[in-house]
Amino acid sequence: MKSSVLMFCALVLLAAAPARAHHAFAAEFDAKNCADVTGVLTKVAYENPHAYLFMDVKGSGGQTEQATFQLSSTSNLRRGGATPAVLNASLNKEVLIRGCGSRNGEKNRYAASFIKLADGTVQRLGQDVEGIFGTKVWR
Amino acid sequence: MKMRVTLVAATVCLLSVAVAAQDPPKPFVEARGSVKPVPLPRGGPPPRMADGKVDLSGVWFPGPTGKANAWSVVPDERVKEDPVPFQQWAADKIKSMSRTEIELLGNANVQCLPPGTPGMMTENPYVHQIITKPGQFVHLIENNNRWRVVHTDGRPHKPKEEQEPLFNGDMVGRWEGDTLVIDTVSIDERTWIRDAWFHSADLHVIERFRRPSVNYLEHQFTIEDPKVLTKPWTSAWRTYTLSANDEDLTENFCTNNEQVEQFKKLLEVESGGKK
Repeated sequence: MKSSVLMFCALVLLAAAPARAHHAFAAEFDAKNCADVTGVLTKVAYENPHAYLFMDVKGSGGQTEQATFQLSSTSNLRRGGATPAVLNASLNKEVLIRGCGSRNGEKNRYAASFIKLADGTVQRLGQDVEGIFGTKVWR
Repeated sequence: MKMRVTLVAATVCLLSVAVAAQDPPKPFVEARGSVKPVPLPRGGPPPRMADGKVDLSGVWFPGPTGKANAWSVVPDERVKEDPVPFQQWAADKIKSMSRTEIELLGNANVQCLPPGTPGMMTENPYVHQIITKPGQFVHLIENNNRWRVVHTDGRPHKPKEEQEPLFNGDMVGRWEGDTLVIDTVSIDERTWIRDAWFHSADLHVIERFRRPSVNYLEHQFTIEDPKVLTKPWTSAWRTYTLSANDEDLTENFCTNNEQVEQFKKLLEVESGGKK
């Protein structure tokens, strides 16, 4: 009996599921492993299906490591205001990025939802794995 | 006691579904470049072409704002639809796939493959440009710079023996009153309808476009697939709005796809290195 109720719940939820958007990044990155990451922005790769930012961060032993951040597409970034010019203006400067770690265990690989640029302004980067768009003011 | 636990479980389940369906709008994150969610006014009656049919031409954003909804606080459109009537074997196959396998096998965007018909509408959060003229429907799709051109003069499909599997399929169009109907067969099985919904070579898609007012375009589709479904299924009407800022499509080519390798690594981790 209990299992039939669970099956009913599963069916109801499945029926509701198609209305939800299909975001691959939610499967690729871990919503429970997110952090604000600080470092020097070293490269902007403005490409599709995802743009990438690269950052030099300090490892646990003080050594410099490269971190990779996956963003939304160039279309979304342009329309949202994070144009190449806006991001490039922070190259070789310290920035802060909200990132969620890759679920496949690759070190220093994140999906990024926000960046605080060198001039202090905040831009949305699109990959909102933990669902914080619309829930709080970040930075 | 057992019955009471069951009833409580059922109530919790239904309440959680109800809450999920009613997610209230949340406060907005104030970041430069964000979009305020203001629905476009309906506008006047739709323009018409020389032959009197409704002119569907325009740059259309998914959702009600006439802007890129990926940056809006408005959640993705939640629409009521009947459950998809999968045959048991198809439901079992979908159930047996992990989220990662679905992304690798069925998400055209992960593979940088064409999402096909109706995936170009259902698995595509980007902008569309439509140009209609008497007898022709031209559809420019920003996502990966794709396009389709459909004759809308009511001509039949190619003879069966001349059809070949195509990502977008063999498409013909006709007007039913003010609704444009696009009928598609011979669709490549590598395209999926949406999410984990795969299809057979016998898939038949009937799309309907209508423009109830200047600023609004609506799209619906019916899926007939007797090898996968127990009966035909029709989607809800989904809303698209005319670009509020007279925007153009932007260039969007898939040139640096790292997702396939990333998901393969994830699949390996999840299967304990067995795949």
